[in-house]
Amino acid sequence: MNKNSPIYVLGFMAALCAFFGTGVSLVHYATSDLLAANERLNHNRVICDAFDLPIDGQTPADYARAITESLEIAEATGANGNGSRRVYRRYDDDSGQLGLPFSGMGFWDRINGFITLDAERENIIRLRFFDHKETPGLGARIEEPRFLDQFDGLTIDWDAPVPRRVLIGTGHNADAPNRVDAITGATQTSNSLRDFLNTELERIRAIDIDALQFQRIDDTEL
Amino acid sequence: MPAQNAREIFRNGLLGDNPVYRQVLGICSALAVTNLLANTLLMGFGVIFTTTLSNWTVSLLRNYTPRRVRMIAQVLIIASYVMMVDIMIRAWAPDIHRFIGPYVGLIITNCIIMGRAEAFAGKNPPWPSLLDGLACGLGYTLVLIAIAVVREPLGFGTLLGYTLPARDLWWHSWTIMVMPPGAFFMLAIVTWFARSQLDQKQEKTT
Repeated sequence: MNKNSPIYVLGFMAALCAFFGTGVSLVHYATSDLLAANERLNHNRVICDAFDLPIDGQTPADYARAITESLEIAEATGANGNGSRRVYRRYDDDSGQLGLPFSGMGFWDRINGFITLDAERENIIRLRFFDHKETPGLGARIEEPRFLDQFDGLTIDWDAPVPRRVLIGTGHNADAPNRVDAITGATQTSNSLRDFLNTELERIRAIDIDALQFQRIDDTEL
Repeated sequence: MPAQNAREIFRNGLLGDNPVYRQVLGICSALAVTNLLANTLLMGFGVIFTTTLSNWTVSLLRNYTPRRVRMIAQVLIIASYVMMVDIMIRAWAPDIHRFIGPYVGLIITNCIIMGRAEAFAGKNPPWPSLLDGLACGLGYTLVLIAIAVVREPLGFGTLLGYTLPARDLWWHSWTIMVMPPGAFFMLAIVTWFARSQLDQKQEKTT
């Protein structure tokens, strides 16, 4: 058969796609349990870190135990646009600290994170990220301690207009209590984070925490 | 395949035509992942896996591949192997994947792999092609290891995660070694050293 005929070319490429598509799918299928376990571990680690929970060790069970022994959970409907949002609250001390996942569009793809707030929702306690796909060395530096540590104890200026309650690299006053430095060379990532974080804070503020039914977390969920 | 050929292919991939310091390919990842030896080893594994298997596959299919779609076919083959290695690293070394993950994806565009597929595997039988891919992958990895074993101790005071003996008493980290300029310095030194050695050898033989 003529190797340059359109039918041969199409058939060859279709066979190649089918063969390698199957190969990649098989590898993914074979490791799917491991991938899911890693995903859960990362999720639990981020929550523990954001709440600064005491951890006995580094195993998945240690993280799961820290969460079940310190946090309770409720589902806030209508708190995520039209969907619902999980709200975590510390019950092992009197602080009543709250923790909520947040998410929004970064420069390349969605950025998923977790934020902890004091009981009055006036200050951020910590901010961490579950995952993102920002540019390595530039936007990806949002998960470096140097950037993240700036959010520790940051005041939310609820009196300011929605997009300016938390400032990332903008504003005339560099010492404003609601401002953190942006990342040099990653203006788009910094601006995207500022925009969706402020939008998410507005939704978080609208949640009626007292009306939520908090429950202890079953460790089979973790 | 004569034994001499196999030796020659290996020697070329590892030393004479080393992809990093001779062909100056794969520099982006060489700079990015060499501040920790563990990251370097996994990146090396990814590149060796991909160059070896993609070379072998491209060679196996070389007589059936229509010439005008050969590069599309090569990219498809390379991308599939990269996706497999990406999934494997994500499954077995998730912490390292968080750091080197974006660069693993970029193996698809690593010039070494496409270069060897086009220059060698498309014209040679499967086993020499497999050896060529393996040698080039190993050559790339060896240079990266040479850079990483200097950068990690100087930058962090550790090697493969193990702290240098009595580090706190005598050691002060060189932060620049963790950052990209440190990689540029080391790459330049390795390239200069390797090339001068090779040139001296060549002069002696001629």
